[in-house]
Amino acid sequence: MKIKISEKKDKLWLFTWIGGILLIWIWDMVFLNNPALRQIEEGFINTFIISFMVIIFSLFFAWMIIIIDTTVNNIRFKGIKLLLTFILNLLRSVPQIIGILAGYILLTYFITGNVINNHLLIILFIALIISLFVFQEIVDLMRERIDYFKKSDFFNAMSVCGISEFRIINYDILWKNSRIHLLNKLISIFGIAVFLQCSVDFIISVGLSTEISRVNLPVTLGGLLAKIDSKQDILAIGQIFGNPLYIINIFVEHLQGITIAFLIVFTLLSSYKISNGYSERYRL
Amino acid sequence: MNTNNYSIHIRKEKRSLVRIDSFRFFSGEITFLFGESGIGKSLISRALYGLLDPQELTISINDTPFKQYLQNEKTKHIRKNSFFVFQEPSSHLNPLETLSTQLNEGDLSETGGEDELLSRLWDGADQLKIKDLLSIYPKPHRPSGGEKQRILLTMAFKKINLIQKKSTGYSDTFFVFDEPTGSLDNHYRNIFLDILFEKFEHNPFSALIITHDYSIISEIYKRHNNLLSQIRFNELSRNGDRVVQNDFSPDKYLNWLKNAPKLTPPDQNKVTPDNPVLVLKSGLQVFGYKLTFLDKNQNQTDIKIYPGEMVYLKAPSGTGKTTIAKIIMGLIPANNLNMEISGYKINEKTSTHFYKRKIWGKASGLVFQHADEALNRKSTVMETFKGLPLKRKDRISNLKNQFNHLFIKESQDKSFLKKQTTFLSGGQKQRLNILRTVILNTKLLILDEPLNGLDFESIKVVLQMFMERQQAGTGILLISHNEEIFGKIVPEDKIYYLQSEIL
Repeated sequence: MKIKISEKKDKLWLFTWIGGILLIWIWDMVFLNNPALRQIEEGFINTFIISFMVIIFSLFFAWMIIIIDTTVNNIRFKGIKLLLTFILNLLRSVPQIIGILAGYILLTYFITGNVINNHLLIILFIALIISLFVFQEIVDLMRERIDYFKKSDFFNAMSVCGISEFRIINYDILWKNSRIHLLNKLISIFGIAVFLQCSVDFIISVGLSTEISRVNLPVTLGGLLAKIDSKQDILAIGQIFGNPLYIINIFVEHLQGITIAFLIVFTLLSSYKISNGYSERYRL
Repeated sequence: MNTNNYSIHIRKEKRSLVRIDSFRFFSGEITFLFGESGIGKSLISRALYGLLDPQELTISINDTPFKQYLQNEKTKHIRKNSFFVFQEPSSHLNPLETLSTQLNEGDLSETGGEDELLSRLWDGADQLKIKDLLSIYPKPHRPSGGEKQRILLTMAFKKINLIQKKSTGYSDTFFVFDEPTGSLDNHYRNIFLDILFEKFEHNPFSALIITHDYSIISEIYKRHNNLLSQIRFNELSRNGDRVVQNDFSPDKYLNWLKNAPKLTPPDQNKVTPDNPVLVLKSGLQVFGYKLTFLDKNQNQTDIKIYPGEMVYLKAPSGTGKTTIAKIIMGLIPANNLNMEISGYKINEKTSTHFYKRKIWGKASGLVFQHADEALNRKSTVMETFKGLPLKRKDRISNLKNQFNHLFIKESQDKSFLKKQTTFLSGGQKQRLNILRTVILNTKLLILDEPLNGLDFESIKVVLQMFMERQQAGTGILLISHNEEIFGKIVPEDKIYYLQSEIL
């Protein structure tokens, strides 16, 4: 039994993550005031949807780049390949946080100009921005897998049978032989998306009053963490050093900040553990 | 003579890898064990020798757990008084010690005869050259596969010397040679057999020799027939989920070889013999070597293959036969390349795009040497044929016919088509590898070691398929170390010899 659990650490951590979230939700339903609970629920759901959409967009962009790569390799005009490499390297050279902040500026411009005014569209736009700065991790993995198989007899043996390079790369290498590797990368992309989103939302929300702001961005965990109430709740942890019994109050009176911090940290930790466990299970 | 009978079951998690109810080897005799690759020959012998990892596999021998089998006094005696020559010599040798040190490790230091053995296995090569070789630490590329194999054989023979010196009874010995001649050409293979039988004649021991090389039978009948009463030929085959061990009648092979099918001229209605499907000029240069082709009179010549011809390219291991196949298919660049495939002129400047458009799967096809590496292991049998340029309906019905022909037993089982290739036996993989290319019906077909890993029945079926293609007008270039079989089938004037010289 011991061996079986250690072999499936990823599943164990997935259930731990879901269980932890459910447990804190039930706890909050009992002890947290209703408006704060609704905000946390909305923040968590928005954060989750954005991160999930980052996975979808990133995978889509990466696969498109690989398709373009394959097509460009088969045509004689090498200028397109150079242009593609230049654009990707340019994007890669921008620090992720800076790039995403710039994207938020563009988003604000669109919202104030009434180009984007739908809540769902705003969420998708944020996911799109984040994925633009993380999708190259998937491109790198896909290229690594393709290069690995191109060196083996498998690629050449299929090629000389007249099977198209497009099919070998997309179906035989990426789909048949790299799904597990890609899924593992997508789990870590989820963690990266949560981290980047919370960081940028925290940065732009500090000192920003949603009541007087001209732009209402969706509530996310990062934005909620920047609220004065949350910060006070977190700082209240320091009271425990002087008065250990104060710990009870932390879990009853300072729930908003503690819950948000827990959700962020626990999600990051869980995605890291799930990804590691998955790698171990499939010996990646 | 005692018969040692074992029931063996080896599993990995829930999957059964090998299950045999009665595996026999005979004390004081030499048993040659044939059978297609992947059927479990190596696994069974490793289990009996106690070389498998009980943490990774669940093994029972005679219904006894493996750990208990390892503690058995007889097992301990066998391991002490025997030697196991691994199929892949690199996995046997320690990269952190010189070959010389390894030749004298453990109780191997208690016996001599090393110089004589080395000299014989290197066919009287200069002693200084051998000494130089012994001073090196084994690396993947040096010594060569053949040299590593001969070092292991030297160790095994030293161990035989030792037990003969100690007069250990043969019932406590179990020498296993797993594909001992896989990297040796026929000349060195025969030297190995000479030494083995000499030692056996001097004082018998028990040995199991796992091999795919059926031509060993001819050599034994020609030169060691005085020992036939102490030699057995067995074959492993599959029966449902079990593996069974049967006697292999040498006459079956020898008679077949005697009456081996000869190539007949192709159907004149289908073939226009004026235009060669391949012209490859001598003198191409690759990896710092110049490669030339010689005819039966050892005169330099060019390779020319006309429709309906089968041409056999011979050379010792490591000369560059596979490299030639890959150069023809545009997978390895070569200098001074002057070639013509189905009328398309090709030189070193010809681009990969040209091969994609005109050659690959259209004018020419190549069956790769190692089926295990050439197939997508994650694909099912059915998926192996997807993506091939087989649009016409007649080609697809041809695929079904050829499949049923090559996979007679398997085609009865509908689930076989959905089986992942990784779970196929080596022989099944090789047949699938061959079929994938043959079905393309290209004008030129290059076969690189097409009999690798096949059992005797499969060899016959596969050869018949090649001859049908040749009859239908396909030009075939054969590359194989199996000189006995192809030497019989291919006419002498269609045999070329490959020679390489350092530039």
